[in-house]
Amino acid sequence: MEKDDLLITAAQAQLALSAEEAGRLETAVSEMLDYFEMMNEVDVSNLPPTTHALVRENALREDNPNPNNNQEDLVNRAPENEDNFIVIPNVL
Amino acid sequence: MAASTSYETFIGLEIHIQLLTETKIFCGCKSKFGDKPNSNVCPVCLGYPGVLPALNEHAVELSYKVCRAMNCDLAKEGMFERKNYFYPDLTKNYQISQFEKPFGRNGYFEYESGGGIKRIRFHEIHLEEDAGKMIHQGGRSFCDYNRAGTCLLEIVTEPEFKEPQEAEDFLQAFRRTVRHLGVCDGNMEEGSLRCDANISINTPGAGLGVKTEVKNLNSSRFVKKALQYERRRQEKVLKSGGKIIQETRLWDEDKSVTESMRTKEEAHDYRYFPEPDLPPFRPDQAFFDMIEKSQIELPLARKQRLTEDYGLTPDQADYIVEEKAAADYFEAVVALGADAKTAAKWIMGNVAKELNRIDLSKADLGTEKCALSAERLTKLLGMLADNKIHGKIAAQTLAAIFNEDKDPEVIVKEQGWDSSADEGDLEKIVQQILDENPRVVEQIRGGDQKPRGFVVGKVMKATQGTANPQSVQSIIGKLIG
Ligand SMILES: [Zn+2]
Repeated sequence: MEKDDLLITAAQAQLALSAEEAGRLETAVSEMLDYFEMMNEVDVSNLPPTTHALVRENALREDNPNPNNNQEDLVNRAPENEDNFIVIPNVL
Repeated sequence: MAASTSYETFIGLEIHIQLLTETKIFCGCKSKFGDKPNSNVCPVCLGYPGVLPALNEHAVELSYKVCRAMNCDLAKEGMFERKNYFYPDLTKNYQISQFEKPFGRNGYFEYESGGGIKRIRFHEIHLEEDAGKMIHQGGRSFCDYNRAGTCLLEIVTEPEFKEPQEAEDFLQAFRRTVRHLGVCDGNMEEGSLRCDANISINTPGAGLGVKTEVKNLNSSRFVKKALQYERRRQEKVLKSGGKIIQETRLWDEDKSVTESMRTKEEAHDYRYFPEPDLPPFRPDQAFFDMIEKSQIELPLARKQRLTEDYGLTPDQADYIVEEKAAADYFEAVVALGADAKTAAKWIMGNVAKELNRIDLSKADLGTEKCALSAERLTKLLGMLADNKIHGKIAAQTLAAIFNEDKDPEVIVKEQGWDSSADEGDLEKIVQQILDENPRVVEQIRGGDQKPRGFVVGKVMKATQGTANPQSVQSIIGKLIG
């Protein structure tokens, strides 16, 4: 893996890499990618793409509200909340 | 409009509409605007690990309904992908959207602009989940996920508008159409219809230029203004030998300018991949038949039919077709036997005034909220046509229908406003007033027409306004000669 690709990937995952970490990961990630590369050796040219291993039929849900009473609980699980908002450090 | 430009303009729109479903796209949370923050959330739309999305059937139906109305090729297989991005308006770090196999492709839509019919093509129409809302204040961001996971349909036009005015005209017609289809309420201020625009200019014949994207356009008027501004700005840059930078700009309505968002424009890499939790959607023939059946006459066609079949003016037809409820109401009134032109005139005039008075709009016509049922308006116009009442009384009766929720003939009877029954009585009243005012009679005989008004006024007073002024005039003529 090219170092630039690694740094861009890290930036997109919001990860700050030190130079030492980047150097270490460059080799490690390359090895992982090489391992996955094996899959590309399989000939799939005659197979339709699959997105799901089990469900092949349409799986639809009726448009009916599902009463859910744990909103408060869910909001309280956030590290910080105020007036029912979930509060995080400013991301603007 | 001044086409001072020596460049060719290319404008495209990216529209998002919130579908009118009861629940969100992948969970049973209510899809509702204006509720207390985070009151319509669950583990699915908050992106908890291990949850499974389940596709809302109605959202799919509404999406195909729009795709069909926009003349798209309808997908025999639709698929969802994960669009990866890191921003806390969605908690999963990806948005479930469609990429490889959207529900609709290659559509087009016809709309009125510049006195003619124009056609815009659509690249694609796809269904996705909406993001939550955030307020940024001080060092903190406040997140509300009520909107996260609600059903959003994205419509992307080809960059084929040549003028900002066309984009505005299209947007208004498009908004009207989705409201007629009943798939979206079209409220741009509340954001249930959102529009971003892209624009590039180039020397004629050279094809697309470098485009900028303009956001924060909360009304169709802003779309036009922002595009006019942005076109002038790009012209200035090019004329001074500069280059357009591909970027996103925000429309500032107060300053009437677009401003660069100055974000790092690393080309977005969303790393789309198929959503493994959702199987592809493969509709059967019954589904396509149902979509076909759900199609309605679109506003443009309906407007044309109203002008051709009923002889309405384009303004009248436009006014009536603006709301499907009003158009249905108008046609119901005509079907019940009212004269079409009179009905149109009344709906646009007195009825509109009354609706306004009681804080209703033409969208309420024909609904329970509105006391003036199609039957009642038809009866009222019938009494007017039969000279049972005259215009002013008809207007009073109309107001009374709204105030008292009664049939017009009941109101006219109760109030003693019926003027047709006593043509003979009316003659007696006129005679009496003439007898009491011999000098007036002399004046009229002498050719002075002004005192006629005096007599009519006296008669109206004596009949409490029910007399038909025209009848009074003809009786005066008959009695005095
Ligand atoms: Zn939910």
